[in-house]
Amino acid sequence: MSWKDKTHELNARRTAALAQGGEEAVAKQHAKGRLTIRERIDTLIDADSFDEVGRAAGDAEFDENGNLIEFTPANFVLGFAKIDGRRVVVGGEDFTMRGGSPTTAGFRKSVYAETVALKHRLPLVRMHEGAGGSVGVQKNPTPPAPVFDPPRFRTVAQTLGSVPVASAAMGAVAGLPAARLVSSHFSVMSEETAQILIAGPAVVARAMGEKLTKEELGGAKVHARNGTVDNAAKNEVAALEQIKTFLSYMPSNVWELPPVTQPDDPVDRQEDMLLDIVPHDRRRAFDMRRVIAAVFDIGSFFEMGKGYGRSQIMGLARMNGQPVGVWGNDGRHLAGAMTAEGAHKARRFMELCETFHLPIICLIDEPGFMIGSQSEKQATIRHGAAAVLTAAMTNVPWASVMVRRSFGVAQAAHYGPDAYVIAWPSAETGPLPVEGGVWVAYRREIESAADPDAKRRELEDMLAVKQSPFPRAEAFAIHELIDPRETRPMLCRWIDRVQPLLPQLLGPSGFALRP
Amino acid sequence: MATEVELETAGTVWKLLVKDGAAVKEGDMLFIMEVMKMEVPYEAPHDGTVKDLNIAEGDVLEEGDVAMEIG
Repeated sequence: MSWKDKTHELNARRTAALAQGGEEAVAKQHAKGRLTIRERIDTLIDADSFDEVGRAAGDAEFDENGNLIEFTPANFVLGFAKIDGRRVVVGGEDFTMRGGSPTTAGFRKSVYAETVALKHRLPLVRMHEGAGGSVGVQKNPTPPAPVFDPPRFRTVAQTLGSVPVASAAMGAVAGLPAARLVSSHFSVMSEETAQILIAGPAVVARAMGEKLTKEELGGAKVHARNGTVDNAAKNEVAALEQIKTFLSYMPSNVWELPPVTQPDDPVDRQEDMLLDIVPHDRRRAFDMRRVIAAVFDIGSFFEMGKGYGRSQIMGLARMNGQPVGVWGNDGRHLAGAMTAEGAHKARRFMELCETFHLPIICLIDEPGFMIGSQSEKQATIRHGAAAVLTAAMTNVPWASVMVRRSFGVAQAAHYGPDAYVIAWPSAETGPLPVEGGVWVAYRREIESAADPDAKRRELEDMLAVKQSPFPRAEAFAIHELIDPRETRPMLCRWIDRVQPLLPQLLGPSGFALRP
Repeated sequence: MATEVELETAGTVWKLLVKDGAAVKEGDMLFIMEVMKMEVPYEAPHDGTVKDLNIAEGDVLEEGDVAMEIG
């Protein structure tokens, strides 16, 4: 006897699975300006590369003769795919069914996304839309998981130390999917369609009396500025583009090196503007992103976390084709001082680089930790010390370029062990910037002078000389003092020198990224 | 092409260097903000004319405020 009947039924189920929540639900999703999970996957991956896992998972209903009437697929779509020719695992909730709130098999598939990415050592991309558990009654409720099951979030945590995880918030994301979203090496939200919520407006209104819309509670204006997600993107397609860009700098896992691309930017390119970019007037800020653009491979800088901790600039770039972590200070924001948020951002950035063995290049203009009552209230010293100690425990190669200021305890976060330290002539360094230090140390002398202002300036100028990089170069306290235009050639040579060190770092790091 | 020159950070307008209707070249300094005792210069994003000048020296501005348009 042939199995034709059964394969016929199987095909009917597969067709039903592709229909997702049905025509009406899909039309509703489109009417809200959102893609379905299958469309998201198609947008993200190389054409025809989707190799789905668990197509038969779902709930079946039969008539009295045992014939299939209806098949409702599990509402999490999962599979292998390729992005730019490299294999990944992709998955996401299907919002067209139960608003993405997991069915039994849907939940299992979502957990399997992490499990299978770990097993195959492949990057994981999650596209989230949906809430966590619902108090509603399921069709076929299963008993609660056994008490000896591993913790639900164990695989989520394990992926962060093993494979790149990139997640996108595409619609409203709450509860469990929201926790997964932020448990990523890179997360992005669609400004037009996404909100991230611990609990939605109805629950909030009832419990707290706050009457806010989804957008007011958890839109991009809130979460792209507080570090909940790294980046915002205009819409879903732009968010997926950012994920592809992020992955292009990443190895497939911690046992492999990041992909070095064929560089098309000369290693000896020297930009004249670097000679003038740091103003002589120490109070005058400059645009560090222009330095980044001039030094790293042209167009290769991908910034992450621009919306929060804004005095610190973090991102990925390439130096002669080698993916690196880039960290600069933005003197245009709070004078570049390290805030609690900036320190948190810095810690995560270093953990990312350490996990995936990316060399770190720092362009330093760090005046120190942010001071004042607001900063004290934010426990800046604790977050700051965490960043400093993270730097001290990294194993990846560091190159630290003293562009301008490098002061206080906060500066220590910008130099890893055995950092290659080069300084521009504009570098100033010491326990604290002269402007603050002079007043505290010489207050009596200044106040008793005939012209206190002139005395203060005289002392500042005298002490500024001591903060100059020349004595440091003489004492071999830095490796080189350089013409700013030499920055790229020197860093390209350094990248070449550290190549043999990178394979020795492979494997899980002593610490991985934590949300 | 008209571009809004938007404040990246809150602060005080320390020096305003252009007038409404002035012709500017890309990279010309338009105004200087004082933020945390640092001077933060804003430059023309491209060649054009200053329009809709909204700021004066001494103004206390918020992040996201539009200082002027370069049209």
